[in-house]
Amino acid sequence: MVDIDPTELEIAELGPKIKDVDDADELREMLELEEGGEDRVPVKTLIEDRIEKLEAEDEEADASSADLDDMTVADIANLVRDVEDVSVLEDMLEREQAGQDRKTAKSQIEDRIQSIEGDDDGESADLEYVPPEEKHPDLDHPTADKQWVEGLEGGDYRDMWVYCETQHGELIDVSREMLGKARELVDQYNEDYDEAEKLVAVLIGDNVSDLTDEVAAYGADQILYHEDERLERFNHKSYTEVFVDMARAGGQMAPDGKEDVDWKAYDEPRYTVFPATNNGRDLSALVQGELDSGLASDCSGLYIENAMISNPAKTGVPGDSKEFERILHMKRPDFSGFEYSTILCIDKPFRDFHPQGASVIPGSFEIPEADEEREAEVVEHDMDLTDKWLEVEVTDYDVLDDGVDLTGHEVVVAMGRGIGRSPTEGIEIGLDLVEAFDDAAFGLSRGVITSSYSFEGHVEQYIGEDRQIGESGQVVEPDVYIAAGISGAIQHKVGMDESDTIIAINTDTDADIRDFSDYYIQGDLFEVLPKLTQAVEEGTLATAIAEASDD
Amino acid sequence: MRSVVLTKGVPDFREGQVSFDEDGHLERGKTPTVMNPNDKYALRAALQTKVRNGGQVSLMSMGPPGYMEVLQEGMNDVYADDLYLLSDREMGAADTWATAMTAATGIHKLDEQPDLVFAGFKTADGETGHTGPQTGWCLDMPMITHVISLDVDEDEQVVRAKRLVAAEADEIETVEAPMPAFIVTDPEFEPTYHRASHRLKHKDLRDTTEDRADEFGEYIADGSDLDPTDWDRFTMWNHEDLNLDPDYIGLDGSPTIVSGVDPIPKAPSEREATAIDPDDDSDMEQVVEELTPYAAGD
Repeated sequence: MVDIDPTELEIAELGPKIKDVDDADELREMLELEEGGEDRVPVKTLIEDRIEKLEAEDEEADASSADLDDMTVADIANLVRDVEDVSVLEDMLEREQAGQDRKTAKSQIEDRIQSIEGDDDGESADLEYVPPEEKHPDLDHPTADKQWVEGLEGGDYRDMWVYCETQHGELIDVSREMLGKARELVDQYNEDYDEAEKLVAVLIGDNVSDLTDEVAAYGADQILYHEDERLERFNHKSYTEVFVDMARAGGQMAPDGKEDVDWKAYDEPRYTVFPATNNGRDLSALVQGELDSGLASDCSGLYIENAMISNPAKTGVPGDSKEFERILHMKRPDFSGFEYSTILCIDKPFRDFHPQGASVIPGSFEIPEADEEREAEVVEHDMDLTDKWLEVEVTDYDVLDDGVDLTGHEVVVAMGRGIGRSPTEGIEIGLDLVEAFDDAAFGLSRGVITSSYSFEGHVEQYIGEDRQIGESGQVVEPDVYIAAGISGAIQHKVGMDESDTIIAINTDTDADIRDFSDYYIQGDLFEVLPKLTQAVEEGTLATAIAEASDD
Repeated sequence: MRSVVLTKGVPDFREGQVSFDEDGHLERGKTPTVMNPNDKYALRAALQTKVRNGGQVSLMSMGPPGYMEVLQEGMNDVYADDLYLLSDREMGAADTWATAMTAATGIHKLDEQPDLVFAGFKTADGETGHTGPQTGWCLDMPMITHVISLDVDEDEQVVRAKRLVAAEADEIETVEAPMPAFIVTDPEFEPTYHRASHRLKHKDLRDTTEDRADEFGEYIADGSDLDPTDWDRFTMWNHEDLNLDPDYIGLDGSPTIVSGVDPIPKAPSEREATAIDPDDDSDMEQVVEELTPYAAGD
């Protein structure tokens, strides 16, 4: 029989009374009564919480009285897991030290103490905001006052926005690639986090409304476009102002008259994605800057997951780790192609860094199949452009030739950093070998293009991104691929490993490229290439040697 | 005419200069610092302006005191009149946005505001290409990026430039902007000096600037008793000088962090390479046999 029958009490009456019940079994009986009665959820929660609390106290009582000498380390580990009181744990630690003094047992207890104290720090991470004027009285106009820092705190962020770049009235391929990738990311995101967020495409320019059907077919849920003949060509200031105005509409930072729009009901986008073209990259930097957030440029991989971060600039508390949810992980080849970095854009206490932005290298993702039946909500964005925004004026433009096409040749000769000892000569002997073939093209590894070699004028025309082979350059599949002085980073492999025969020349005994070559000439390209050139010109090596010895 | 050129020190990525640790990570500490190669084009654009239009050129960087050597190198390249280093622990580990805010504040602090600010494209280490445009945004200056040629018309107070638009189709735009303006040069930038008088001026400037840079060299040499900040053409500012809240610069002010750096994974082995000794004729003959079918016809 219980002293208190919950079915006879209002929850407000039960609250204070239940604190006097110290018997868990009695509480369980009360729970059964309630379940047999009105079965009120808050009442059951109240009772369950009390049971849990009592049992935890029991554990602590066990912990404070347990004879540790009789227990195995595993038992101790199990016991301490439920103890919340640091003083009980410290007492256990002392008893263990006085008793068997097992290192492993002590570390179990210490770890638990640390974890509880860590949690406490986490709670005290209700950090108090101190205005910069108080925090830094020595500074008379701290940065937060400056016009370019206008961010949000605790804002509402949703959706992934993709800037679809156009040229001459058409979407460029990277725009289609981004839509495909973003569709994948948004679908996965909605599944992982049980959300219904959208893929929003942004079009800015002249006559861009012509493109909305196509953008929908590639996966957009909502399309925002701003059309103006003055925006036929990219203009830094006005494109940025238009994008930012869209991003802020309907939110806390919305300009006058746009506090409520019927197409958007959040502060700013959660994620933004731009193409890493010359103009797309600039736009990404300016939009993210104006929105007081960050971005990673030239990414080749994107995924969304939670991230454990211990960086005190982000957690606010040194030594603390904090899980940040729904973080866009942006992977990019870095340090001139030596490493991949993963960049995260993460809020800090009292200052949000949203949207999380990225620009992506054209060609990194597949163009999705267009679904002509697909429909999207189309929104025309309205905004007056200020003349001052258009003061940088394009007076003329020329379209350049397509550049160098390295594909479709029988042979490709590619040069890498092995030319470093004498870069100009390295290019010359590579070109000599190209000349010796009927149909050969001349390519470069990324390393040569990003290096700071100084080339003499006559070979300079052969150095440029248009000759780059690899992930962010061209992909070639010749009959014969000759890689001279190329170590064989995986991005390079992507650009050439479908070649029929691969011949590598490298001074290193075991460069990475050895693993995907058919012939590995271990030698100095400055000696080997001229030898090969001569042999190809003469038809056989024997002749070449004979002539060389005649010299 | 007053110009400011922004520059940065980066690890020297040339073959043989780069060190990696056992896990394949770049060892920045063991890799020497040089001026960012792409900044040379910003320097060339500023130099062209100085030779053709005269005026004062200031070179500015943000980084540790070691960057004084980078500034000295740049002084020689751009025939700079004076050098500025924004240097403070609080500024360390900044991403592009935090750097842009710091650099813009540094420019605002100059006694005379510049008519032109020059920046290079991507740095060899970060490779973002964001810092230039974002600094221009903070300064609220009209901006021309990817500039490959430049003409400054002081009478009309406009700059005319050609810029490279690399996207699906590459284009060259001719662009006009009012001054003051922010110029980001492309690695394809080519200076032009049409007149003999320009070339003569070029030579004069080179001689005076070499002496000047040598003088600074004495201040920053190892074991020198001189304090570089005593040199009248060098200025070093910390966050207090710039009135910058430490929460808004450096790592604390950076929206982004690098969460992981992975060595580029090694490509899986798919082919069995035949080892060829270049000095062994029968070895080499195998390779030549692969090549001769593709030789140019007679």
